[in-house]
Amino acid sequence: MGEALDLKAELNERGVFLAGGTDLVVLINRGIKVAENFIDLSHIPELRAINKRNGTIELAGNVTHAQCGKLPVKCLSLASLSVGGPGIRELGTIAGNLATASPAGDGSTALLALDAEVELTSTRGARRLPLEKFFLSYRKTALAPDELITKVSIPTNYRSDWLKNGKRGAVNISVVAAAVAITPKKEARIALASVAPTPMRCPDAEAAFAKGADARQVAEIVRTEIKPITDHRASADYKTHLAGVMVRRLLESLCGH
Amino acid sequence: MWPLKFKLNGKRMSRKVKPTQTLLDFLRLEMDLTGTKGACEEGECGSCYVLVDGKPMNSCMMLAPQVQDREVVTIEGLAKGRKLDVIQRKFIECGAVQCGYCTPGLIMAAKALLAENPHPTREEFLVGIEGNICRCTGYNKIMRACESAADEMGLKK
Amino acid sequence: MSKSTEILDKQIAALHVTARSSSAYEQKQMKVVGKGAQRLDAVGKATGETKYGQDLFSKKFLFAKALRAAHPHAEILSIDPREAKKVPGVITVLTHKDVSGTNLHGLIRRDQEVLCSHKVRYLGDAIAIVVATDEEIAGAALRKIKVDYKPLPALFTMEDALKPDAPKIHAEGNVLGEKHLRKGDAPTAMAEADVIVEDVIQTQSVDHAFLDLEAGRARWDGKMLTIEVSGQWLHEERRLIALALGLPLEKLRIIQPATGGAFGGREDISIQIYLGLCALKLKAKTICMRYSRAESMMVRHKRHPIRVHYKLGAKKDGTLVAAQVTFYVDKGAYASTGIAVMRKASSHATGPYKVPNVWVDVIGVFTNNNPCGAMRGFGAAQTAIAYEGLMDRLAVKLGMDKAELRMKNLVKSGDEVTTGQVVPYATAVECFDAVLTRIDWKNRSYATPAPHLKRGYGVSIVCFGLGYGDGFPDASRARCRLTEDGIVELYSSGVDVGQGLINMVSQIAAEEIGVPLEKVRPILADTQLTPESGSTSATRQTYFTGSAVQLAAAELKKQLQDIAAAHLKELVYEIQIENGEAYNAVRPAKRMTLKELAREGKRRGFSLEATSVFKPPTMPEDTRTGQSMRAFVTYLFGSHACQLLVDTETGEVKIERYIACHDVGRAINPDQVIGQIQGGVTMGIGMALMEEVVLKDGRILNPGFTDYILPTIRDVPEIECIVLENPDPGGPFGARGVGEPPLIGTGPAILSAIYDAIGTPVRELPATPERIWRAMAS
Repeated sequence: MGEALDLKAELNERGVFLAGGTDLVVLINRGIKVAENFIDLSHIPELRAINKRNGTIELAGNVTHAQCGKLPVKCLSLASLSVGGPGIRELGTIAGNLATASPAGDGSTALLALDAEVELTSTRGARRLPLEKFFLSYRKTALAPDELITKVSIPTNYRSDWLKNGKRGAVNISVVAAAVAITPKKEARIALASVAPTPMRCPDAEAAFAKGADARQVAEIVRTEIKPITDHRASADYKTHLAGVMVRRLLESLCGH
Repeated sequence: MWPLKFKLNGKRMSRKVKPTQTLLDFLRLEMDLTGTKGACEEGECGSCYVLVDGKPMNSCMMLAPQVQDREVVTIEGLAKGRKLDVIQRKFIECGAVQCGYCTPGLIMAAKALLAENPHPTREEFLVGIEGNICRCTGYNKIMRACESAADEMGLKK
Repeated sequence: MSKSTEILDKQIAALHVTARSSSAYEQKQMKVVGKGAQRLDAVGKATGETKYGQDLFSKKFLFAKALRAAHPHAEILSIDPREAKKVPGVITVLTHKDVSGTNLHGLIRRDQEVLCSHKVRYLGDAIAIVVATDEEIAGAALRKIKVDYKPLPALFTMEDALKPDAPKIHAEGNVLGEKHLRKGDAPTAMAEADVIVEDVIQTQSVDHAFLDLEAGRARWDGKMLTIEVSGQWLHEERRLIALALGLPLEKLRIIQPATGGAFGGREDISIQIYLGLCALKLKAKTICMRYSRAESMMVRHKRHPIRVHYKLGAKKDGTLVAAQVTFYVDKGAYASTGIAVMRKASSHATGPYKVPNVWVDVIGVFTNNNPCGAMRGFGAAQTAIAYEGLMDRLAVKLGMDKAELRMKNLVKSGDEVTTGQVVPYATAVECFDAVLTRIDWKNRSYATPAPHLKRGYGVSIVCFGLGYGDGFPDASRARCRLTEDGIVELYSSGVDVGQGLINMVSQIAAEEIGVPLEKVRPILADTQLTPESGSTSATRQTYFTGSAVQLAAAELKKQLQDIAAAHLKELVYEIQIENGEAYNAVRPAKRMTLKELAREGKRRGFSLEATSVFKPPTMPEDTRTGQSMRAFVTYLFGSHACQLLVDTETGEVKIERYIACHDVGRAINPDQVIGQIQGGVTMGIGMALMEEVVLKDGRILNPGFTDYILPTIRDVPEIECIVLENPDPGGPFGARGVGEPPLIGTGPAILSAIYDAIGTPVRELPATPERIWRAMAS
């Protein structure tokens, strides 16, 4: 892994990290010249490790969606199983999902609801960042050009669930997707995909939940917090409506009200 | 050119590859194995499935060097001489082949699934082949072929 | 735990029923026809050995790529390929100046330039071709071709194109043509109707999305230009290519590689002429070309989006009295098969219903969107969505059960269809009855597992004329030959696009002559070897090519009987051929095998060969009334029933049950018939619920499978098939066909069910969750 980091530091923009390739290779297939050099991370075993310690699960950066699909953390496992088809799930990694920072990122959204923390490493050392501070704007993250996402940590004691709305029964990029988690202190974490330039949390809705609002009321607040756009997948008003329905259903399933 | 060393359908291979060539194009154009198909270039249809260390992967989404030191199996690697793999046989017997373009990718997906889980439930079958698009058959006979293959494999144990 | 094969077999037997009528046409027990014999080409497809267009490539070949228009509507002022020619690895760059024949092609009228010379009309128009040592270089060189355009105001809607001051897309204006049908006196009958319903339905642009992308190769060896690209009608393609290249027909050979789906999408010329041009220019070099998915979607013709204004009038007891229909057909940039699609839409305007007064007007309007052409259903699919939708609305207005309303008005044997043609044997009632019984219509339940889920039941009935019809010459030819080693060779240019033509023709030949299937070797789709068979389209191959094959086989059989009679010294009319042996049934000890027949036949100077032509005529529809005594050679009937759930909060649909009944006359291979039904229904599910080519300012926004949504296995339920066999005296062993009706019946049944569930109709396709949600909200 050190070699990978050295190479990246040396090459800078002329080299990109390649894990699964499910975002990068699409661009190459379209004839877009992505970079002069690719630093293949897929053969670094430490980057596929899953470790459990102190009530958290530590996922190394190259853990695949298929691997995440087997974790005992419901929103992440369901989100991961909803990514593409089995082939994409074996190739795609959580680090790749985070680094691409698509507003529709399934894994990214579930991780947001889990208060995930990421470890970013470079030749200059490693730093940790709460995922909430990782997504800056549309497809832009806090990742420095020479940094690699080496670890993602999530708690094991949140109860969580996930819903995704697509245009068909499988292999969808979400119209809207929602992850809701309840902490041991009975606080709500609400994260949504495809309703903003990045996956987002809903702090106002979460605050209302803490004050005792029921699922329906929380859903209404979610609708006021999000700013989806009308695109070729769906209109903004439909997405707004859907987001509320999904959050309400998730809260009902997790809390019964 | 990248010096690629990998195992292909059971044989060790050593080739120089263009680093930005997809695994799909490499298999088809360089290795003359045209059984694996390309139909979408976006990892959305599954026709390009190959097995890499037993796991199904979209070869159109991979760069050839990514299979360094790995074991790759393509559709051509399933039959033993003239003896077809049970999944191939079932696809043929159950009428799950029409135009045939999605067939290699589906067979590889089914192969990977049944290797890992020899007794899948219907839902597990769906998870395993939901990434394959077929435009001709309507999937019913494909499901039948997969269940029938699992059944026969199960009987042999 | 997966189920045992026995249980699966029982389930399949319960799901799929084949019922034969006890009619005067009952024939003797058959040995090959009527059996679900394994596909003759399945092994190669399952092992990856079968070669489709792209599989014929080699690194040693040269690669071609086309430059497309930069504007949807523009004049071309100049084309400068000089910089592109300088790119290392580029062999040549061709423009319209290099087109050696006539720079035009088109199926009904030649209005599409091979390489545009003075005007572009949609973004998929080709301006130039680069040939290089590899694809990447060809692609890079494309960007160096300088084209100077004068953009013209572009038209993307029919309304804009019909405005009096609209720029002309074609010299004659923006209307391709009109079609009219005048049966009875619809305005008067409508005025006298007790109940009238009226609505506007809009269907969408749909892509064929076959998986096997356009690809192939060509080579000119000085004497023969060989082009290997998948099409749907080899000989017509050959004529068009020869015209464009200025090449005599006998110097042009088209060989069809294995074909991965077509659905009408390979009817128009794709890359054949480009390849031919390059091969002729570069002599003795093999050129290959392939489209990416994006290019394939952006360039290819689409299903015609049609806006249907439909007015239906009835008596208060539900008897239909009048229909007035106007179809606005978005033609896109070029004519293609638009006139025929418009005509098929109008001739099916009232589908399976008996309506004495029908007035139809169809207008085809050019726009700068993708040209529209053939796609499974060919106008009748869009029409069916309209007429079934209106029947549902009529049922609601009358307060009548929608199945009862339909049953009351279905055509029966001896009734007239929309074109005035009398259908001698109609089985619409039997088909509809079969699905209503299967779904237990009278006891259908609306109880759902949760309050936000609403259940809906939908039905549809299909009446579809097969073949080209309208007096358009429709023929198929076949040849049969007995070889020295006792094999029956069968020659036909019929294209197998996946539907199973290869088995259909082989099983018919085997049955007709009396040989086992293994003794038949089909040789298909090579203009050098096989006689013209017409296109694989219009649900015509079983009826036309199957008949041609049966006729040729019957002729060959006569020769074999003659040979056996001479050799065995028996009376010729006592000679039977069974299981590949000829003998006299009374004295069966004296037999001849096929090999012996071949040897004796050769010795006695028999040709051991037979050819045939099957060309049943139809009569053109009257230009004013649209009526014809024989608009189509025969009709297909079918019926669907659909049970689904709508999530009223999200608009999502889950199909719980789908039943499709089709009368195919005779199922030559029942397994393949079921495959076609299930495949057609699935394509219909796509069209009804999720598929849509999204165009903005002439550009397709979703030219890929990420955003052009095709049904996955999770979107398709168990499709229960009921196959009826009421033989048609004109078809081979009574067979009719099955390709298009399963798709035609699906959209209407699904929309009918959604209307039932939510109480409001969805008027625009596809009925996505958002559209359903909006319909509920309105």
